[in-house]
Amino acid sequence: MIKVDASLCLGCLSCSNVCPSQNIVRTETAGKRSVHWKRCKEECDLCVEFCPAKALTLVPFDETVPEPDVSFDLVACKICGSRYATEPMLRRIESALPANVQKDSEGLEWIRVCPVCRRNIEAERATKQMVLGRSRKSP
Amino acid sequence: MPVYIDISRCIGCRSCEVACQRVHGGSGHINVHFVGDSASIPIFCHHCEEANCTIACFTGALHKEGERTAFDVEKCTGCGLCKLACPFGVVWTNKIAHKCDLCEGRDAPTCVTTCPANALTTDFELASRRARSRAARAAAQGGRK
Repeated sequence: MIKVDASLCLGCLSCSNVCPSQNIVRTETAGKRSVHWKRCKEECDLCVEFCPAKALTLVPFDETVPEPDVSFDLVACKICGSRYATEPMLRRIESALPANVQKDSEGLEWIRVCPVCRRNIEAERATKQMVLGRSRKSP
Repeated sequence: MPVYIDISRCIGCRSCEVACQRVHGGSGHINVHFVGDSASIPIFCHHCEEANCTIACFTGALHKEGERTAFDVEKCTGCGLCKLACPFGVVWTNKIAHKCDLCEGRDAPTCVTTCPANALTTDFELASRRARSRAARAAAQGGRK
């Protein structure tokens, strides 16, 4: 059976992806992501092994323990407002990356921007550069 | 051997998108963006030297292989951390991660060989020669006012 440390869980769904017997159920609505671990009797520790946060441990089967549930409000993109990630996932990225790459040349904290907007920003920037090059005006 | 882009040549035909999807079983890794009416530009993986996605990946599925940022599908758990760590938004996850692999196993990336406008190239020398000659031409004409 799986024991979950909810304070460590990132809500990344790694465990649910690697579980061979669909014992870890995900539900995702527009603004919320929930993970539910069924009481399982398998002698398998794939989810434990592949948890990036080490939030899972195997414990002996016990019917009296309630099935663990964790849910996250998804974070809204600073630009378009679409809900794109869980807060602990973004925090993990912020602690993993060197501080000097977390703001771009214009001071934007891009980690708080969704991937779609990141692509748009990149396109706009490259276009600005090209137009500048063509018109040869100093910036 | 990353792919270089000369935006001023891109005609926005999206042939690269189609070619990429064809080679990668329907999920492409290159997106042509249109910026107002002034430009079209394909956005794809830069194969960063110090790639954030490889830092975020905890299983080592994303890793550097020379200049290429390579992906080992066997190791991926689909956690999506790489997607959030990419500043350019060019790593996708759909159960597992997918991104530009520079068309591993082919002679050249299919976007490069497909582009009818020669906007994409793997040849750094060509990219740099074009940029230099553009600068020289502008200088010779005294620049546009």
